[in-house]
Amino acid sequence: MSDTGSPAASIPLLLRVRNGGGYAEFRVDAEPGRTVLDLLERLRSGGRSVPAYRHSCHHGSCGTCGAVINGVEALMCLTKAADLAEPRARLPGGPALPPERDDGGAVVVTLEPLSKMTIVSGIAVEPGPVFAGIPDGASYLRTESAEGRADLPLDPDGAAVHSGAWRPDGRTRFEACIECGLCVSACPVAVPFIGPAALAAVNREREKRPELATAMLAVAAAPDGVGPCGRHLACSRVCPQAVFPGKHIQLLRNALARQ
Amino acid sequence: MFDPSPAPATGARVCVIGGGGTGAALAYDLCLRGFSVTLLEKGELTSGTTGRHHGQLHSGARYAVGDRAIARECMEETLILRRIAPDAVEYNGGVFVAVSDDEADYAPAFTAACLEAGIPAREVPVAEARSWEPAINPAARRAVWVPDGAFDAFRVPLAFFAAARALGAVIRPFVEAIGFDVTGGRVRAVIARPYGSAGDERIECDYVVSATGAWAGAVGRLAGLDVPITPAPGTMVAVRGRVSDMVVSRLAPPGDGDIVVPQRGLSIIGTTQRVVDDPDGILPNDDDVAFLLGRADELCPGFSKRPIHAVWAAARPLAGRAAGDGRSISRDFMVLDHAAPGSPPGSSGMATLIGGKATVLRAMAEKAADHVCMALGVGEACRTRDYVLPSWREYYAARHYSGGER
Repeated sequence: MSDTGSPAASIPLLLRVRNGGGYAEFRVDAEPGRTVLDLLERLRSGGRSVPAYRHSCHHGSCGTCGAVINGVEALMCLTKAADLAEPRARLPGGPALPPERDDGGAVVVTLEPLSKMTIVSGIAVEPGPVFAGIPDGASYLRTESAEGRADLPLDPDGAAVHSGAWRPDGRTRFEACIECGLCVSACPVAVPFIGPAALAAVNREREKRPELATAMLAVAAAPDGVGPCGRHLACSRVCPQAVFPGKHIQLLRNALARQ
Repeated sequence: MFDPSPAPATGARVCVIGGGGTGAALAYDLCLRGFSVTLLEKGELTSGTTGRHHGQLHSGARYAVGDRAIARECMEETLILRRIAPDAVEYNGGVFVAVSDDEADYAPAFTAACLEAGIPAREVPVAEARSWEPAINPAARRAVWVPDGAFDAFRVPLAFFAAARALGAVIRPFVEAIGFDVTGGRVRAVIARPYGSAGDERIECDYVVSATGAWAGAVGRLAGLDVPITPAPGTMVAVRGRVSDMVVSRLAPPGDGDIVVPQRGLSIIGTTQRVVDDPDGILPNDDDVAFLLGRADELCPGFSKRPIHAVWAAARPLAGRAAGDGRSISRDFMVLDHAAPGSPPGSSGMATLIGGKATVLRAMAEKAADHVCMALGVGEACRTRDYVLPSWREYYAARHYSGGER
């Protein structure tokens, strides 16, 4: 769109966004700090016809904006133009290679929908496979370490709001997993498998709630549990939240071996 | 287990436009009252303002001095959300911190206003507040505990969507409302267009509610109504790590850069406020980042030394016309009936929700559903306080997808 007059600091990109059998292509000059999601939003609000994509929080919390960006699963809201101009892996765990550039020198950025999921339109997917294997009622809260801090003051309404569901003691925070499905998409296992995100949730539930350990290990021991995992570790390599599902799968294996 | 008792079917069809938090809660509320609901969202669910919220679950303390009624409503809704969406709330309480002399002088009026609004605020020695959260500025002059929390701005709304869908609502992301069929002075159908398609659809309905937040002006224009709405974006910055588990706020009238909200593994400083004409494609102002980090350091020294995780912006939907940065506009919400006296003729059968904010999404939905009941002569009361919502995971785990391309 602008081959003249672009600011020196901006990075020319050729965005190729999967749309059915082909790609919609956009040339943009991106400020180094702009994210892929920012760029799609700017194109769309500028009246360009951008293939559909998912997004919500814009800060790596909701987990909706995953895509395969130049061969590797990542969140569009956390991937900056500057990142794309640097050497990057072209597959999970692969060596970092200089960016592909077109004849005009623009960095080629190809966006594909996450794998294993039903495509709604463009690169927007229906992420059912990420969620389907997570046990019903698996808690999303965990205790946050007080690390020497005093106990929080008594909550005068604590009893009144208690729904009866399990709650962790003390300070609470959400689990690190944002259920973005990057791990599920990157996982090369092609047989029935509840997948890395679900197994990470299974292990967290086992760790947090000893009374459910037996039930969680039964999930892990099922034919679609830890068995199909081939220890490729693609899941851990693409995880944007340092959950490292491969570690949780190994912890489940260890616990099963102790049984 | 989610096993509610909805009212008997009314046979009336309601089309909700807007797939944010309010639309989610409204679709659920209407289903519980026996309506047949279709919800249209032009993009992904919660992709407008809702999901970008910093996630402060407001006790109402922030608004107590300025507007007791809003503060009271926040307090009530905070307790309801903590009860019906327990897994999507990090509840650790909050502290308002006075940094300057003026702010210290503000503390008594602040605490008194909170108590008048039903918020159990109490002043505590700064040393006690710092024993809970050592990140609080040691130079703080005064501190007040309040029952603030943080919620997941994506997962709370999605739990409402999961509930609505479990009750039969047809939720259609990536389907945009592009017009209305008005016949005989009444809206008969919404004309809808799936993303990237030229094949328009008619959504036949007996009533339409626009729950489109900052986009209410654009949708109102499609129906011939000038909706008084001011999109007011604010920038937020997330840094890595939790500086505190409690929400830390500035003990001062609401302003820019005065809230630090922990969320999962992040800490968020919010926010700024400006006013725009078009809420689409809002990007953060780069100038805001240094300002916000500086303000955060005044509350929690060292905040700005943490690695920046993300910078983003969201457009508040202020009800009314803006003056200046819009801070003078109330954060209250109202239901605007398109057939109200003084409105252009020919648009009965439709209402628009304007204003409001994330914490009161359920209350906004209740008021809008009350309005639909009144307009259609249905006598069912709100039931959304009564049931713990299903997990947001059920929204996606459910087999049948009713999105843009069916």
